[in-house]
Amino acid sequence: MQFQAGRALASDTDTVDSKAVDTGAVDCEVKTGSARAGSCDLCDVRERSICIDLDPRAMQKVERTMARRAVAKNRAILSEGEPNDSLYIVLRGSFRLSKLLEDGRRQVTGFIFQGDFLGVRHTEQSAYTAEALEDSLVCCFPHRFLDEAAETSPGVKDRLIAKGQTEYHKAQDHIVLLGKKTAEERVASFMKTLAEAVGRERGGGYVEAPFAMSRQDIADYLGLRLETLSRTLSALKKKGFIDSINRKSVILKLEL
Amino acid sequence: MREQWHKYQARPAPRYTSYPSALSFNDTVGPERYGRALSAIGLYESLSLYIHVPFCAQLCWYCGCNMRVENRYNRVMPYVLSLQDEIRMVGGLLGGRGRPISLHFGGGTPNFLQPADIERILDAIEMELGLTDDARLAIELDPRLVGDGDIAALAALGFSRISLGVQDFDPRVQKAINRIQSFEMIENCVGLARAAGINDLSFDLLYGLPHQTEASFAETIAKAISLSPDRLAIFGYAHLPEVLPRQRLIDAGALPGPTARVDLTSTADEMLIAAGYQRIGFDHYAKPDNPLAVALREGRLRRNFQGFTDEIARATIGLGASAVSFVNGLYAQNEKSVKDYQDAVAERRLPCAQGVVRTALDNVCAAAIADLLCRSRADLSGVFAGVGETHRRRMSARLEKLERDGVIKFNQIDKIVQIAPDAYGLSRVVAAAIDPRLEAGAVLSKAV
Repeated sequence: MQFQAGRALASDTDTVDSKAVDTGAVDCEVKTGSARAGSCDLCDVRERSICIDLDPRAMQKVERTMARRAVAKNRAILSEGEPNDSLYIVLRGSFRLSKLLEDGRRQVTGFIFQGDFLGVRHTEQSAYTAEALEDSLVCCFPHRFLDEAAETSPGVKDRLIAKGQTEYHKAQDHIVLLGKKTAEERVASFMKTLAEAVGRERGGGYVEAPFAMSRQDIADYLGLRLETLSRTLSALKKKGFIDSINRKSVILKLEL
Repeated sequence: MREQWHKYQARPAPRYTSYPSALSFNDTVGPERYGRALSAIGLYESLSLYIHVPFCAQLCWYCGCNMRVENRYNRVMPYVLSLQDEIRMVGGLLGGRGRPISLHFGGGTPNFLQPADIERILDAIEMELGLTDDARLAIELDPRLVGDGDIAALAALGFSRISLGVQDFDPRVQKAINRIQSFEMIENCVGLARAAGINDLSFDLLYGLPHQTEASFAETIAKAISLSPDRLAIFGYAHLPEVLPRQRLIDAGALPGPTARVDLTSTADEMLIAAGYQRIGFDHYAKPDNPLAVALREGRLRRNFQGFTDEIARATIGLGASAVSFVNGLYAQNEKSVKDYQDAVAERRLPCAQGVVRTALDNVCAAAIADLLCRSRADLSGVFAGVGETHRRRMSARLEKLERDGVIKFNQIDKIVQIAPDAYGLSRVVAAAIDPRLEAGAVLSKAV
């Protein structure tokens, strides 16, 4: 599905006109694949993916209740301990998931990218905080209306969620990652995940993945000290796995 | 201390650094049960790590720790390798779960290890258990073994808390305990620590040592204050030569008596309070801006194996010979001898030798005792509800007596006990009065 374009290492180009949806956001261009495509179109596809399961009346309702929201960098869409009643789909940008530990320190528990889902369940107390790492754009579906829609079209929510990664997938990813035995494995695994989520092919087996999280966020997420992360990045560069890395993007050489 | 309290001074009371105390450890807890407890740790559960280094260059005659004198460094290497293996085993069971937020190297003498070996252990922890920059790293140092670049090297590894074993500055006392270290040596260590950016520096002092007098101890305290440590712990020396044979080397005739011991603590207390330190529990002192003092004011003070602490993690994983772990109501202690410990690890077994699982009543008592020691006040309704009729009667009688003597105020209706402000030194005695596990005849150290 197109929806997955951001997820796969796809180089397919999106050329659909941005006709369908008024995004409410001025700049809704997003880089997926080798050419630019409108996020409106991506979003259009997402809505169609709900459409498949909805009768026209339910669809109308979802369309009415769905809201598109621009989230400025550093703003939270979900706050730990606060209620959440909406499902979010990330159209553009990325988010950092974190929890406060007992001592007030923050633990980065995951990163959410374009095409991922947040707030999969209605909750009185969110278990984590989700903050935008960059200016981002999300679609917001109130659970109440999704549940109503599900009455006439059973399974719509499940099918919707099955199409993307959720915070629960991220927790699984994190536990697997923290169980890895060397710093190199952890960092390489993180870089691959990044490439799968937002990477685009550059030819010759090279993939470029832009990222917005800080080194400190990455070290915290990987359970490593900053100095170890830097040392490991250098080692991976020496080995050729990382072609180049700066504060905004990394180019990886993936085995073909 | 009030006249009517003197009878409590010589009364033995547990140190309550754990509940139940290590005396209750038995073989119901072994590698399997400890392993299961480790596997049940939560994904982001805060962990504190304790790493025991059981080596010393020289025997201090007062010492009650698990240690052995080692004079050849190459014998230490296998221990470091075993530690790394144990860390790997624990990491395998955790499978990425748990987040170390603090780490404490204790001993023995942790700085018997060279910084490069400490780094090897830290590396293993970082890889197997995860370590981030804001984890708090602490280490106990023997000033006599501190080389020129050591403290800077430790600071570079991320250590931010150092505690120095000072004990007493009086040469006569030092000779009588076989621990000779000049004031200049301590002063030098403090200077090195400050230069390395260490802003949480603690001194361990001991009272009740041979030849200590009020005047000599006052001088020790004055010298300590002059070096401006951020915290001090003033532990009481427990002379138990029948349990710790090495203490037979100490001349029992030169030990201060019960009343003199009280005078030593009172002198130290008055001087430290006058110098601006805040009293923490019954034997710790901290500058008001120190995290320990902040924890006290915010009601977060706790007790662990190191004494009073601002530690936040509930679970402790102990690594190394004799180290004690506490995971989800289960205490587990590693093999005490270095050989048994290394053998177990070599066979890829968790080196857990003994421990105890807290009962529901233990949990209630542990909370009440922690409140008494850390907050001078506790709600005993859970303890009263949990014990049998006989113990309830005895407990009431003991509390009534303590109340008559002015040590506590006890409200019979809501079962709230409050320790009198000037009876802080007797909080362990009050705790012992409500402790259903306390058996007659157990060997305990004196309360004051």
